[in-house]
Amino acid sequence: MLELRPILSALMRSKVSLVLIGLQIALTLAIVCNSLFIISERAALMNRPSGINETDTFTVGSIGFGADFDLRASIAEDLAMLRGLPGIADVAAINATPLSDGGWSQGISLDKDQKSPTAPTALYLTDEHGLNALGARIVAGRNFRPDEISGRTRQSLAWPPGLIMSRALADKLWPGQDPIGKSFYINVEQAPSTVIGIVDRLQAPWVHKQRVVELSTVVPQVVSDGSFVRYLLRAAPGQRDAMMKRVEARLAELNPGRIVRDAKSIEKLRADVYAEDRAMMIILGVVIASLLIITALGIVGMASFWVTQRTKQIGTRRALGATRGAILRHFLAENFVITSFGLVAGTLLAYGFNAWLIQNYETARMPWYYVPAGCVTLWLLGQIAVLGPARRASRVTPAMATRSV
Amino acid sequence: MLKMNHLSKVYRTHLIETHALRDFSIHVRDGEFVAVTGPSGSGKTTFLNIAGLLEQFSGGEYFLDGVDVRGMNDSARSRLRNEKIGFIFQGFNLIPDLNLFDNVDVPLRYRGFNAAERKRRIEDALARVGLSARTRHYPSELSGGQQQRVAIARALAGSPKILLADEPTGNLDTQMARGVMQLLEELHAEGATILMVTHDPELAARAQRNVHVIDGQVVDIHAEPRMRGLGVVAAQAAHG
Amino acid sequence: MWSLHKLRTAENETTTMFGYYLKLGLKSLRRNPVLTALMVFGIGLGIAASMTSFTVFYLMGGDPIPWKSDRLHAVQVDNWDANEAFDDKGRLPDQMTYIDAKALMTAAKADRQAAMFKVALPIQPASEMDGRDVKPYLEIGRATYADFFAMFEPPFQYGGPWNAEQDANSARVTVITQETNEKLFGGADSVGRTVRFNNVEYTVVGVLAHWQPRVKFYDVTNGPLTDAEAAYLPFTTAIDLRLDSTGNNDCWKNADPGWEGFLASECIWTQFWVQLDSREKLAAYKSFLDAYVTEQKKQGRFPRPVATLLPDVNQWLALQEVVSRDVEIQVGLAFAFLAVCLVNTVGLLLAKFMRKSGEIGLRRALGASRRQLFLQHLVEAAVVGISGGLVGLALTAAGLIGVRALYAEYQHIAELDWTMVAVALLLAVLSAMLAGLFPTWRACQVQPAAQLKTQ
Repeated sequence: MLELRPILSALMRSKVSLVLIGLQIALTLAIVCNSLFIISERAALMNRPSGINETDTFTVGSIGFGADFDLRASIAEDLAMLRGLPGIADVAAINATPLSDGGWSQGISLDKDQKSPTAPTALYLTDEHGLNALGARIVAGRNFRPDEISGRTRQSLAWPPGLIMSRALADKLWPGQDPIGKSFYINVEQAPSTVIGIVDRLQAPWVHKQRVVELSTVVPQVVSDGSFVRYLLRAAPGQRDAMMKRVEARLAELNPGRIVRDAKSIEKLRADVYAEDRAMMIILGVVIASLLIITALGIVGMASFWVTQRTKQIGTRRALGATRGAILRHFLAENFVITSFGLVAGTLLAYGFNAWLIQNYETARMPWYYVPAGCVTLWLLGQIAVLGPARRASRVTPAMATRSV
Repeated sequence: MLKMNHLSKVYRTHLIETHALRDFSIHVRDGEFVAVTGPSGSGKTTFLNIAGLLEQFSGGEYFLDGVDVRGMNDSARSRLRNEKIGFIFQGFNLIPDLNLFDNVDVPLRYRGFNAAERKRRIEDALARVGLSARTRHYPSELSGGQQQRVAIARALAGSPKILLADEPTGNLDTQMARGVMQLLEELHAEGATILMVTHDPELAARAQRNVHVIDGQVVDIHAEPRMRGLGVVAAQAAHG
Repeated sequence: MWSLHKLRTAENETTTMFGYYLKLGLKSLRRNPVLTALMVFGIGLGIAASMTSFTVFYLMGGDPIPWKSDRLHAVQVDNWDANEAFDDKGRLPDQMTYIDAKALMTAAKADRQAAMFKVALPIQPASEMDGRDVKPYLEIGRATYADFFAMFEPPFQYGGPWNAEQDANSARVTVITQETNEKLFGGADSVGRTVRFNNVEYTVVGVLAHWQPRVKFYDVTNGPLTDAEAAYLPFTTAIDLRLDSTGNNDCWKNADPGWEGFLASECIWTQFWVQLDSREKLAAYKSFLDAYVTEQKKQGRFPRPVATLLPDVNQWLALQEVVSRDVEIQVGLAFAFLAVCLVNTVGLLLAKFMRKSGEIGLRRALGASRRQLFLQHLVEAAVVGISGGLVGLALTAAGLIGVRALYAEYQHIAELDWTMVAVALLLAVLSAMLAGLFPTWRACQVQPAAQLKTQ
């Protein structure tokens, strides 16, 4: 038996309390919905696969000393040693890796004369071991042959004739067509390259650049001037951490004329590159939890006061024939009404907040079900919070009615 | 209508037992107007609370309109209270946040009448106490006498078997008290059974029968026709 | 004499009344410990949330060099692609080409000017150094001009900056930081001694005292919040030694092959700052810059319309959005959160004070003025506020520890600042007073008669 109208008119007599709790619930709904939405967006971002084996792989860098450091020889020597190391499944020199947030990007053009490129792409410069070391899957065409690998220096302008690209990039360049054998330009002033292989998926190093994140091209070249090289290694399953230490030590031993540094697992790179997103998720999670707790406690506090304040009234209602259940339901219904007021305002606020985020932060539109779900949650929260005080109210003895103040 | 036999009520704390009522017997018949009098602390209020099913008793028997209320659970007692008893409290006990209509509506809601039935009863009851014109007012906008009239309307609206009045004029000045008392007398004349608790002998004198309670026991029951009261009723009836 | 006496009585009265109100307030708060705890905790949590995120926001966005931020200007010129702006937002490039940096340095039209870029510095400690064996390690260095030190004013512990002549001669000199000096020379005065970076020997001319600008505003492109450099060397020396920039290198067209091709390219990888000591000089430099770009256009460079910009430090930080968007959202959220906590406390205080209307009526009847009652309850609210502020302060400290744990790069940023402490306390008391104001006003509206009449 919900006596909504009398509850409503009684509430209207104490507008301030109604406005305060309503406002609190409204703000809570707006913040909780938008925070949850941001959390889910970040989670979706973090859940995108990189296309490579992340559990067994790691990278390590080497910087030689001096202007006369022979990078080419050093790489050859290092690779020979590393490939013979038990516990290493494969190793390659590579300029960048997915999730590292640093690398080389270029525009791809399909036509020599076009003014601006068709699509951007990340460039991975590596040898014939690169894709195997990454654990990327070739789904069409073939891998590089050892004889196709060359060195790339500042002097290089042309790009090798045969390149491998991610399926997403191929689909963007030639939608619905078989990309193998198609030609394209990285540098329109040079000869075009053709696609010789397609990897299922290979994320660009920059996970937060939505435009380019799935678009990558693998080039059969190893950077061979300067003094820096990065190796990508895949350890035998379960041996990664042990191999990281060994590889660092062996490289340092092999050539003391350099600094071996930054041995990092791809998992660590993933954690680092998404650190800000994870932090945001945690902070928002804490905000949501604190907000729900504060709101629930506020409802408990307020309802307790009302119960105390209305002890006599409750006794009278009991004397007039209200059962305990009726009193309990009265308070639950009252809370439901108050919460509903707040939720109406909160719904507007939630969409307003989302609109503000869309305008200022290029966030997506919040799916419709967040607000109803938030409403149900807050209704339940309100009912649970008010249950304690309401039970206390239902235990008020009807004899309260005849007690003088 | 209301029958108590050898009723007792003991309040226990871990230190002492207080016998609020001892071997208390009373019989109120249909249509009677009984005043229960006694000094404060005599057990009047305890008696009223038990009669009104607001409190449990420790021993003895109590029949309300033929129903044995011993051992009834809380919900059943609430229902019985709602159907058979109309309360009139010393402090009126109107709900300040509700207007008169909604105040009178309270017991009817618990009874589960439909909307039309409730509306009819509320309007009739308020008309009966002369407050038809003020249904949308709130208690704080009324005088004490008017508030008590609303409380009486609330008590009447559910057509109870018996009206229980607890010092109904205790919070009112003489003139307002007279008006309320007159209303009770009229209701009695129309056939209502009324049980009134008061410490005011003058008020008690206007009832049909007085029951005097001292130390939780009935000490004296004397029934005497109230000529004056009847006279008033007769006069009213003549007018009506 | 007489007036003084009167004054003293009034003062006494105020203090004793305040003590009385304080006693009443504490008593009243003790009566509902759970509710009081709820209010204090509510304010505390709200303060903590808003203060934590605001501290990060304030320190990230705050002026890193307040005494001269309006005289230091980043120099931006638009050398980008005719068909496409530098970024989606249509902003000018955030770095400069080597050719332009070199040309502007040579022109030397500003009061002071410094081109710079970020370099990787393998540091090779001498093996026999004080008998300690320090392995070679990699640090970040900055190649720049002597004016860098005069412009950004890092404090020197020993020695000083190199001079313009050394800039011109590509001298092998360096200014190292206190931390590097500690590692290489055990903190001794190392001016005149040599250090070895990447197989090249440099003479130390200066050692900086600890210098940690909150935000590395002079190079926001390459990690505004990461640690400062370990050593500084002349720009010309770095170019002479062909040290690559390890910062971002953005190109819109292909460079010619080789180091010379790289230097002559339209790739941007240097930062360029000038100091301009007056508005007139700023205006003059702006016209000079426009004229420079127009001149370059004639030679076939700068395909886009002439666009130059000289943002000062604060404009630069805003333009480059140094305050992360996440932090901005968090600040917004935190203040909404504070609002919820305040509303919560107002509600609870309201409920509490409304219940006291009987007591208030009684006090009014006994002769208390509205003002006195108002003060009494304001004191009670203030007690809640101060307690909330203290709880909030403790929670803020905890919150900042949490932020440091979550964001590695905020190590220097997420520190409690005493201004912030004061702001937090003030905010707590003010918000509680505000929270108490309405209920008190409501409670004091009660007509004494209405309360005493019937109950």
